[in-house]
Amino acid sequence: MTVAIIGLLGIAGLLLLIFVRVPIALSLAISGLFGYAAIDGWHNALKMVGTVPFTLASAYALSVVPLFILMGAVASRANMARELFEASNAAFSGVRGALANATIGSCALFGAICGSSIATAATFSRVAIPEMRKHGYDPAFAAGCVASAGTLDVLIPPSVLLAIYAIVAEQSLPKLYAAAFIPGFVLAGLYVVAVLVVAKLRPAWVPTVPGIGLGARLRASLGMWKLGVLFFFAVFGIYLGWFSPTEAAAIAAFVAILIGFATRQMGWRELGQALLETAFTTAAIFFIVVGAFIFSRFIVLTRAPVEITQFVANADLGWVWVLLAVTALYLVLGTFLDEVSMILISVPVTLPLVVQIGYDGIWFGIFVTVMCTIGLISPPTGMTVFVIQAQHPEIPVERIYLGTLPFLAADFVLVVLLVALPITVSWLPDVLRMN
Amino acid sequence: MAWRGVIANVCGWLAAICVAGMMLVTVADVALRSLANIPIRGTVEIVELLLTCSFFLALPATFLRDENIVVDVIDRFVGARGVDALKRISAGLAIAILAVMAWQGWIAAQDTLVFGDVTSDLAIPKIYYWAPLLIGFVGAAISALVVILSGSGRGT
Repeated sequence: MTVAIIGLLGIAGLLLLIFVRVPIALSLAISGLFGYAAIDGWHNALKMVGTVPFTLASAYALSVVPLFILMGAVASRANMARELFEASNAAFSGVRGALANATIGSCALFGAICGSSIATAATFSRVAIPEMRKHGYDPAFAAGCVASAGTLDVLIPPSVLLAIYAIVAEQSLPKLYAAAFIPGFVLAGLYVVAVLVVAKLRPAWVPTVPGIGLGARLRASLGMWKLGVLFFFAVFGIYLGWFSPTEAAAIAAFVAILIGFATRQMGWRELGQALLETAFTTAAIFFIVVGAFIFSRFIVLTRAPVEITQFVANADLGWVWVLLAVTALYLVLGTFLDEVSMILISVPVTLPLVVQIGYDGIWFGIFVTVMCTIGLISPPTGMTVFVIQAQHPEIPVERIYLGTLPFLAADFVLVVLLVALPITVSWLPDVLRMN
Repeated sequence: MAWRGVIANVCGWLAAICVAGMMLVTVADVALRSLANIPIRGTVEIVELLLTCSFFLALPATFLRDENIVVDVIDRFVGARGVDALKRISAGLAIAILAVMAWQGWIAAQDTLVFGDVTSDLAIPKIYYWAPLLIGFVGAAISALVVILSGSGRGT
C-alpha cells in the first residue's frame, strides 16, 4: 500500500469516526496513531503518542489560551455585556436599525474580550433579542443578527482561535492580532451595512427606535469603560511592548477580576464559577489540540502537504482555482465541524497550498478565521444559531438561518476583499514594523 | 449521579487553582519586573508546570461531564438507544487510546526519572511535569469506564 493511499484512508477513517459520534479529539488521535503506525511502524507510532501530549501541554505559548478564556469568563459574569449594549444602543439611537447595530457593536467588543462565540451569542440573545422584539423587529432577523454578530469574536483580537492558529501554523501571535484588526472591524462594518440594506429593503423588519438626548448618550457611553480597559491591556499592551501575549492575557484577566470586584458586579462565587468554567473549557480544547497534533504528525509523514502542493504546481492551476477549492473545503468543513477542530485538522494541509500560490501564513490565518465565522452560522450545524434557538425556542431554527443570510453575504464580501486586497491584512503589521 | 459531579468538580477545582496560579505568578512577575526591576526567576517554568497541571487534572472531568466536542449529526438517525450505544463505544475507544498514552507516557517519564532531568532555571525535576499527565490520562480512562458502566450522565 502506498503512503498516499494510507494518507487517504487515514483521512477517511477520521471522517468516519467523527460521523459516528466519536469525540473529535479521540478521532484525531486514533486515526493519527494507526496511520502513523502503518507508515513508520508501531514502535515509532507509540513513542510519538507518548511524547506529543507532554510536549504540547508544557508549552509556554499555549498558556495564553486558558488566560484569555478566564478573562472572557470573568467579563461574562461581571455584567459587562448589558452595560456595553446600553452604551452601543445610546450611540446608535435614532438611526434606523439602531438596536441591530448596537448588537453588532456590542458583540464585536464583548466577543473580542469574551473570546467565545457561543458565550457571546448566549449572552446577547438574552440581552438584545427581547429588546429588539419589544421594539417591533422581525424575530428571525433579530435572532440572525445576534447569531452572526456573535461570531465576530473569532476574528477581532484578542482571539483565542487566532492563538490556536498561531501555534498550529507556527506564526507570530502579535502579528496575527495586528493583521486581524482591520478585517475584524471591516466585518463589523459590513454587518452594519447589511442591517442598513435590510432596513431599506424590508423596513418592517427593522423599525426606527426614538433617539435619546446627548446627555443620556454620554452617560450610557460611560458603560464602555470596563471593556475598553480590558481591551487596552489585552491588545495594546502587546503592541506597546509592555507584555508578551501570555503576560497580556494574565494582566487582562487579573484586571477583569479587579474591575468585577471593585464595581460589585462580581463576588467570590462568580469568580469561582469563572475559574471552573475556564478549567473545563481549556481541558476540552487542549484535548483536541493533542489529538490534532498526533494527526498532523501522521499527515506530515504521508507527505500529503508536499504532494498536494507539488500537484498544484505541476498542474499549473491558477491561484483563483486553488483559493476556490480551499474556500469550498472550509465551507464543507464548517457545516459539521467546530472552529477549533476545523483549524487544527485542515491547516497542516491547506497552509502550504496557499503559501504556494503566493499568500503568507498571516494572511491565511485571517482568511481561515473568516471561514470559521461562516461555519458558525452555516446549516446544518451553525453553533451560534443553535445557542439562540435553545434560548428562544419560539423562533424556528430555519427562520434564524434565514435571518443570518444578510450577514452571511457580508462574510463573503469580506472573503472577496481579503483575496482582492491582501493589504487589508498586511497593512497594520507593516505599519507596526512587525516583519 | 451526584458523586460524578462531585469528582468532576474536584478535578475542575484543582485545575482552576492552577489557572489562578498561572495568572497570579505572571502578574506578579510583570509587576515586580516593571516596578522594582526584580523579575521572578523561572516564571516560565512555573507557568508551564501549572499549565500542564491545569490541563491534565481537568481532563477526567471532560469525560465525567460528557463535554468532549462531538459532531452529533447522526443523532437524528439512530434514536436515543443508538446514541447511547455510540457513546459507550466512544468511551471504549477512549479507554484504549488513553491507556496507550498513559503507558507510553509512563515509559518516557521513567527515562526523565532515571536520567534525573531537571528544568534549566529552577531545577524542577521533569517528573513533576509528567506526573499530572499520567494522573490525567489514567483518571480520564477511569472516567470513560464510568461512562460505559453508567451512561454519559447527560440524558443518554
